[in-house]
Amino acid sequence: MKEHAQYADSLALYAMHGLDDEREMAELRQHLDSCGECRRELEALRADVALLALSTSGPQPPQRSRERLMQAIAAEPRIQHKHKSRFILGRLQPRWLRLAPTLVAVLVLIASVALVRENLHLRDTRDRLARELQDQRGRAALAMEVMQMMNDSSLPRMTLVSAKNVPQPQVKTIYQPQKGHVLLMANNLPLLPDDKVYELWLLPSTGAAPMPAGTFSPDSKGSALMLHAMQDGGIQAKAFAVTIEPRGGSPTPTMPIQFAPAG
Amino acid sequence: MRVSGTQVSNQTDEAALIARVRDGDQAAMAGLYDRYSGIVYGVALRVLGNTSAAEDLVQEVFLQLWRNPQAFDADRGKLAPWLAVIARNRAIDLLRKRPMEDDIDELPISTGVNLEDEASQRLAISKVRGVLGQLPADQRRLLEMAFFEGLTHTEIANKTGEPLGTVKTRIRSGLLALRKAFS
Repeated sequence: MKEHAQYADSLALYAMHGLDDEREMAELRQHLDSCGECRRELEALRADVALLALSTSGPQPPQRSRERLMQAIAAEPRIQHKHKSRFILGRLQPRWLRLAPTLVAVLVLIASVALVRENLHLRDTRDRLARELQDQRGRAALAMEVMQMMNDSSLPRMTLVSAKNVPQPQVKTIYQPQKGHVLLMANNLPLLPDDKVYELWLLPSTGAAPMPAGTFSPDSKGSALMLHAMQDGGIQAKAFAVTIEPRGGSPTPTMPIQFAPAG
Repeated sequence: MRVSGTQVSNQTDEAALIARVRDGDQAAMAGLYDRYSGIVYGVALRVLGNTSAAEDLVQEVFLQLWRNPQAFDADRGKLAPWLAVIARNRAIDLLRKRPMEDDIDELPISTGVNLEDEASQRLAISKVRGVLGQLPADQRRLLEMAFFEGLTHTEIANKTGEPLGTVKTRIRSGLLALRKAFS
């Protein structure tokens, strides 16, 4: 201890838990970690301290204390410890309190499982929404492409039919009654003299007189595309029909009807 | 008081008793209590100054030994000094109102002193008291304040008016006097 004299006096108080200077204790512990000689001196001082405790021996606890202990250990379920564990002292605690660490561990496990499940669920939701967004974008792009192609009259168009049949004229209409908008798409229409046009008629569901729904002329290939706005929205249509009228259109249809709904 | 052939036999007895306690032998536990309850009770009574509190502490110490005998490693020390130091530390905790959950992980203590039968204990106690009686009263008082009252060196210095360094040195020299008497 000669070379460790600066720690010698502190070691005695350290053995009695009598140091209260945190910095000094930290320094001493650090020294003990690396100095076997001081560790041995500390062990010797702990033995000296234990001898000090003997000076108080003499009085014996009353007999009831022994009986109380024997009754207590007889009532204790014996737990076999396989490993050395800490000797924990404290006020005698309710037995359930000893289960607290196990309960806490179980609760932490349950909470962890719930968090993992929640995490997986959130991941699934995120992936599903990403897929839906991708689908929506794909459908929007497709609709845009369709609209662009349908509105571009310069694109080549053709209708394929059986080679034995002559291509038949065909007129399709799409009506948006709330707005009063009518979209007409026609193919293979016979060409008309310059002073004639085709005219579309809306036949109201009320049975009222046919209403003019726009005039149109096919191009050189017999195709036509027309978007017509009725004067008023909200008119319910029973059907549409097409007649041939003088250029500029007519207030009433001129018979015969060239195209009418199939069936 | 150093380890002798007779003591080896006694040590074997103590180790055997502890082994039986580990197996749940209540009679072995009663044997340990009969041997060492006086030491534990004496320390508790000296620190706490109250017979009822000292009895409770004896119960607590021996019940914990019954519940967890593996906490004591018979190969590394003796049970009597170990119990005495645990009883002292716990009593100081109670005295200073430290948290009740406080736990003690006290290492085994090897004193080389036979304390395993009543006659050996009486002899050792007498010797310790003799050494303490030889110390100057103020030095003995410093040891008592540190060990039985649980005061820190700063508290002792404040209480006695002695410089910190002097307090430390005199406490250590008091302990060394005990060691010398048993060497």
